[in-house]
Amino acid sequence: MAYPYLDKDFDEKEYSGWVTVPNKLWDNNKARGLYQEYIDQLALADELGFDGMVLNEHHQNIYGLMPSPNMIASALTQCTSRGKIVILGNLLPLHMNPMRVAEEYAMLDQMSNGRLIAGFAPGGGPETFNYDVPSANTREKFWEAADLIVRSWTDDGPFAHEGRYYPLRYVNLWPKPLQKPFPPVWIPGSRSPSTMTEVAKRGYCYFLSSRSHGGETHRAQQEFAQVLEKHGDQYQPFRFGILMSTYVAETDQQARAECEEGVWYFLKNCLKGHLRKVGRQLTYGPGVPYIPAAAWREYMKSYQPGRKLLGDVENWEELEASQSIIVGSPETVARRISALIEKAKVGNLLIQFQLGNMPDHLARKSMKLFAEKVAPILRHDSLIQFTKEYPGINVEQSAQAVH
Amino acid sequence: MSGRALEINGRKVWLLENGDGAPLLYLHGFADVHSLKDSWLPFHEQLAQSCRVIAPAHPGCAQSDENKDVDVIEDVVFHYLEVLDALRLDKFDLVGHCLGGWIAAELAVRHPEKIRKLVLIGASGLFVQGALIGDIFMNAQPEFGSSYATLREMLFSSADQPNALEMFPDGKGELEDEVRRYQMLRLSSRVGFKPPYFYNLPLKNRLHRITSPALIIWGEKDGFVPRSHGETFAKLIPNSGELKIISGAGHSVHVEKPEETAKLVSEFLQQ
Repeated sequence: MAYPYLDKDFDEKEYSGWVTVPNKLWDNNKARGLYQEYIDQLALADELGFDGMVLNEHHQNIYGLMPSPNMIASALTQCTSRGKIVILGNLLPLHMNPMRVAEEYAMLDQMSNGRLIAGFAPGGGPETFNYDVPSANTREKFWEAADLIVRSWTDDGPFAHEGRYYPLRYVNLWPKPLQKPFPPVWIPGSRSPSTMTEVAKRGYCYFLSSRSHGGETHRAQQEFAQVLEKHGDQYQPFRFGILMSTYVAETDQQARAECEEGVWYFLKNCLKGHLRKVGRQLTYGPGVPYIPAAAWREYMKSYQPGRKLLGDVENWEELEASQSIIVGSPETVARRISALIEKAKVGNLLIQFQLGNMPDHLARKSMKLFAEKVAPILRHDSLIQFTKEYPGINVEQSAQAVH
Repeated sequence: MSGRALEINGRKVWLLENGDGAPLLYLHGFADVHSLKDSWLPFHEQLAQSCRVIAPAHPGCAQSDENKDVDVIEDVVFHYLEVLDALRLDKFDLVGHCLGGWIAAELAVRHPEKIRKLVLIGASGLFVQGALIGDIFMNAQPEFGSSYATLREMLFSSADQPNALEMFPDGKGELEDEVRRYQMLRLSSRVGFKPPYFYNLPLKNRLHRITSPALIIWGEKDGFVPRSHGETFAKLIPNSGELKIISGAGHSVHVEKPEETAKLVSEFLQQ
């Protein structure tokens, strides 16, 4: 849900697309109706048969205009009827009281007739600065909040929460969520073993927040599978998800021609401050010290200063190699995503269709082609693969969601 | 020089000691012993010629164990009360730089009777309207993936000041230096991130409790803690002289002008 009306010289003139990006760039004359356009795109996904619609929370940036994904989710409960509403997720440490999230998620579950997938995320570097959230204890705060929310959905109230960060005397949730025992919980992570372990302990789904899909995606899957086994659980593809982007058109050539402007807008503007080294990369670094010092020492051992991030790619070939944005004809896209699924054994694909300033009609055309010509192949191929590799798996579970 | 560990409530507190004579407790800042280097800087060595300098590493810094229960500056002050008990220090000189200066001021307003003389160098801790303390957290995130120029500029008189370049090089520094820097930022994020940044609103109205003579030192070009903070300390601590400005130096006065700064401090302590 990018802000798509930046001038062509944005990258040249502005230092970042996050936190400090001047809000005088917001133009009401252009932006009127923008939210409706994005909501309609999400509703189209529901009509086209996607398994769900994915929303996320970001603040003070041009990358994602959803400081409150719950508001968009609320609109979707009214204009969609079938697909899951995936919020990935509410950034718990940014909320003064986690009960607000528990309440809003419960409302959304009721309003959507039990279609909510409840995501929780701790927030990253930019949000640390946006909301003045101290980094050192965000992980502890996050898990206390997540556990409190789930307990408020499952345990009879009122009860007292004797927590370190969110002590509450009366926890007594009204309304309760519709899904029992509680809505599915998805947690994003970036391959940190501690996040995988906490997810495994609780039986939740794990999402890789990385946007690039080389060998690391496969390794993340293997690591998560090992962690699950250590906790007496078993990996299956619907416990794991990845975030990716795609653009589908009639031919490879046409696909590239149609999406290229939006892709570069996304990479150079929207990722500036997030996944680009140009400017100041706020996402990860010593100024956002949320991991313990011992983990930082390990990270620093292999850290390469100035290494390229996704938004630093200089040409189309480098972008293709990153496997982050898969562009082409239905055949090409199906083949490449199938190969990714086969290797990474991943059941949940969170797919971003609208990139940067891509015009609405192109995003919609790409979604339609994907739904008609790519999704059936992916469903078919993964069904064969998953039932062979994971006997007993419930293949009715979601396989693709639109982002 | 010798380092040793104290054990306080099951947690290790690492400290360095140097020199003989009256005890001087030194509380470190960013470009400093423990937060960047594992050894004394020339400034401390000069101080140690006339007194016994004791420099503990803050909780979670250098080899001191982290304390996850540290949320606010008060928790660090209490930690130091226990360190003082363990060291059996009833009365001592107290010198602090930056965050260390903030802790020193907080200790002094609570226990003025323990402090013989107080020295604050580029100390944070105050809220001064219209003069916010700099954002070291954002500046600790490299520009262009590898440049710490704006961090150096914040902590020193300029980005290419030689000590600055040695302590905060672009790219990757010595692994252990990098880890110490990270540890200091992690502690800072606990006590100095919220409110943004590095202050405790009530401190200003408590400074009148300090009874010891005080010396306030600031770098002429402090780009991190504005000079008006030094002026406020000097004005509100009853027994303080005029703010002393070290010309040509930035925030890390004691690194950039070690002799001049140490001389000022030693003379004040010996008066």
